[in-house]
Amino acid sequence: MRTYKPKDDVQKKAYYTDRFYVAPQVPKSDVESDEVFAKDLEAIKAKFEVLDAYIQVEQMVVWIKPEDNYGVIELMRDELEYTQLSELSAIDFIAQRDEFEIFYQMLSMNKRKRVRIKMSIKNGQAVNSVEKLFRSADWSEREMYDMFGIVANGHPFMKRILMPYDWQGHPLLKSYPLQGDEFAAWYEVDKIFGKEARDIVGPELRDTSRVDRYDSTRFARLGHEVPFGAEVKGDEPVTEQSYQEEGGVFLVKKLDKASSVVVDDPQR
Amino acid sequence: MAQIQNRLTPFFENITFDREDNELVLNFGPQHPSAHGQLRLMLHLQQEQIVKAHPDIGYLHRGMEKMAENMIYNEFMPTTDRMDYIASSSNNYGFALAVEKLIGLEVPRRAKVIRMMLLEINRMMSHLFWLATTALDIGAMTIFLFVFREREYLMDIIEGYCGARLTHSAVRIGGVPLDIQDSFIAQLKDFLEKLPQNIKDYEDLLDSNRIWRMRMEEVGHIPTEMALSWGCSGPMLRASGVAWDIRKEEPYELYDEVEFNVPYSDVGDNFARYRIYMEEMRETAKILWQTIDMYAECVKNGQTELMAHAPKYISAPKLDIMTQNYSLMQHFVLVTQGMRPPVGEVYVATESPKGELGYFINSQGGPYPYRLKLRAPSFYHTGILTDMLPGCYIPDVVSIIGTTNIVFGEVDR
Amino acid sequence: MAQHKINYTQDGGLPVALTTIDKVANWGRSNSLWAMTYGLACCGIEMMAAGASRYDFDRFGTIFRASPRQSDVMIVAGTLTKKHSEFIKRLYDQMTEPRWVISMGSCANTGGMFNTYATVQGVDRIIPVDLYLPGCAPRPETLQYGVMLLQKKIRANKAGRAQKSKRLM
Repeated sequence: MRTYKPKDDVQKKAYYTDRFYVAPQVPKSDVESDEVFAKDLEAIKAKFEVLDAYIQVEQMVVWIKPEDNYGVIELMRDELEYTQLSELSAIDFIAQRDEFEIFYQMLSMNKRKRVRIKMSIKNGQAVNSVEKLFRSADWSEREMYDMFGIVANGHPFMKRILMPYDWQGHPLLKSYPLQGDEFAAWYEVDKIFGKEARDIVGPELRDTSRVDRYDSTRFARLGHEVPFGAEVKGDEPVTEQSYQEEGGVFLVKKLDKASSVVVDDPQR
Repeated sequence: MAQIQNRLTPFFENITFDREDNELVLNFGPQHPSAHGQLRLMLHLQQEQIVKAHPDIGYLHRGMEKMAENMIYNEFMPTTDRMDYIASSSNNYGFALAVEKLIGLEVPRRAKVIRMMLLEINRMMSHLFWLATTALDIGAMTIFLFVFREREYLMDIIEGYCGARLTHSAVRIGGVPLDIQDSFIAQLKDFLEKLPQNIKDYEDLLDSNRIWRMRMEEVGHIPTEMALSWGCSGPMLRASGVAWDIRKEEPYELYDEVEFNVPYSDVGDNFARYRIYMEEMRETAKILWQTIDMYAECVKNGQTELMAHAPKYISAPKLDIMTQNYSLMQHFVLVTQGMRPPVGEVYVATESPKGELGYFINSQGGPYPYRLKLRAPSFYHTGILTDMLPGCYIPDVVSIIGTTNIVFGEVDR
Repeated sequence: MAQHKINYTQDGGLPVALTTIDKVANWGRSNSLWAMTYGLACCGIEMMAAGASRYDFDRFGTIFRASPRQSDVMIVAGTLTKKHSEFIKRLYDQMTEPRWVISMGSCANTGGMFNTYATVQGVDRIIPVDLYLPGCAPRPETLQYGVMLLQKKIRANKAGRAQKSKRLM
């Protein structure tokens, strides 16, 4: 019987995992261990509900409720001196618990600290746009929409950014295969030549290791060239590769190796 | 074979050129010689003045983040080369550093010094390339030819080290694969000795050039607030009055041991950015001189380690693999299955030549990253064109795109 | 009267060169290959390097032109994505005959390492290609050798005849 492959998570899996393997954790430390972070967390906690907070790899991670994201980021910008929103994107956990995790990576230049605001939203839920606070969120949120299909409410131009406008599917979802679905496979042929040209152009060759030495339409046989489409028998004469024909070319000099100079020092 | 015609309709069929308010829509790109790649701009014009700009990107989107989710960590290293392909070691390094932070690894000192050399050579290459292309766009062909000459020397050095001119993959997770070759230091010194004169040549040609100044000064002004709000970093931010250099403020590698200045300006126009690039080249040369001394010190102290020792994550040295059974087994597992970092998240920012290059990795304990987000500086530097171009004139567009120094490998990823 | 005698069969020979129209036309075509700048990605940088100081493309008569209407050969240097594919067809159609295409680098040849949803698996799915250059990225020398091979290919063709459709369409 064919092995069952889940459709909601097509990411490559390890082909072997030890039965007793328990993955270690990246150490998390308490927020209290850092003065600056502790103060910032106090300020956030005073106004909003914080689900979890810890320090991981020198950065504070604060889990908030999704409806608070605008408020928290506004607070951080205006009162806590976090002047830049360096990054914003999502992580797909649909297969595990039907959720997306969204993170906002913030930077304070005065404090030299980085904070990551994280929140979980349900699949299909929209988030509040923070484009009014940080212009950089304009493109980041568009990218998030393009890659995951998460809509940001209140965004002025919620359209695809990296993929074409007429693209189907959101590529970074775990349910989207790496090499694309059928729409992706024929996108350029359909658009340029029309659907009926599919037979002429043929399917994409995705197997990078495939080499057919008897296929003269797609592979050259270096040193034993045959014309395009000719049948390969295997007894082709050796063909020398040179950039000029025998007997020279009209008005073009041929390189004479004996009289040429080899430059050893490129910095001469 | 059957001859079939294409189905493409005329492109501007559905766009009205003559608006009632006398507005003209101009398409720029995606294949424009001075778009530095595949930028497409839709410009709304009022006579020659731009009233609205709409940058369109994604013409080089190759799905790197998706690829990362389907690759083991070491496999992804060559892909990072193709992000910012002008300075590929800086991408390699950013990724290696992120994974090292994730698994908590300390890199030997000699490897750190070599990495710093590579990073700074890459910065130099990138800045030289920026100068060449920007000058070419503005019409200074001489500079282009001059700068490419110098850049080729650096390419030679790098090629001697890793065998590639453009896509280096010269950094590994946990260190560097090789020691530098014998001629490396001599060649580098040779280059650095000539560099001040070269930079002076460029400046002599450009600084008091009337055309250059007219196209650079008071063009493409970015106020500090706009730069911060758009997430600008690197020279773009420093030209707008924020002296923020990650090498200085959040030192990684051995940047806290070297001495260098962070040039910044509070003018914020094209010319300020040009001056910052030139000054940064000088600072980079300063760092390179210091790394040469640091390397000599490492040799003197007999520090020969190039890779960190962490059998769970990093393969043993080749000699051990060839002679010891356990190292061979470990190596086999690491190559076929890949390392399994702990469960957790990390965001690491490094100062690439373009700005803040960040790698966000979410690991679920498997050999493949669960999510890898590449924070490319150029992405936001392209976005800022939306706010920057309105009010400018058509000839300014090219010089503004030039000084933002965007590379489409990392804008679209 | 002293007769000044010139031996036309020796020392430089006749001051007249005899050749065929074919040869002259092909000579002109092959030695002034104006390339269209189609730098898409990393290979585009190597293409620029080939045109710059050390490698100096101008000595082959290869001058980069920004307009498809003035160029003979399109050097597709870099990854062609699905979003961009439409434009390469448009620009190829705008080039005047005779026209040639060099696909530079593995990405343009086969999609290369980017075996993903967004990459066209070889530019020959869209436009016919004359020459494939291997490498990621190919060195400038490779590109120059490729151009020399293209010149050889042009010289082998009959100049007067209309170009046959090559591979695909």
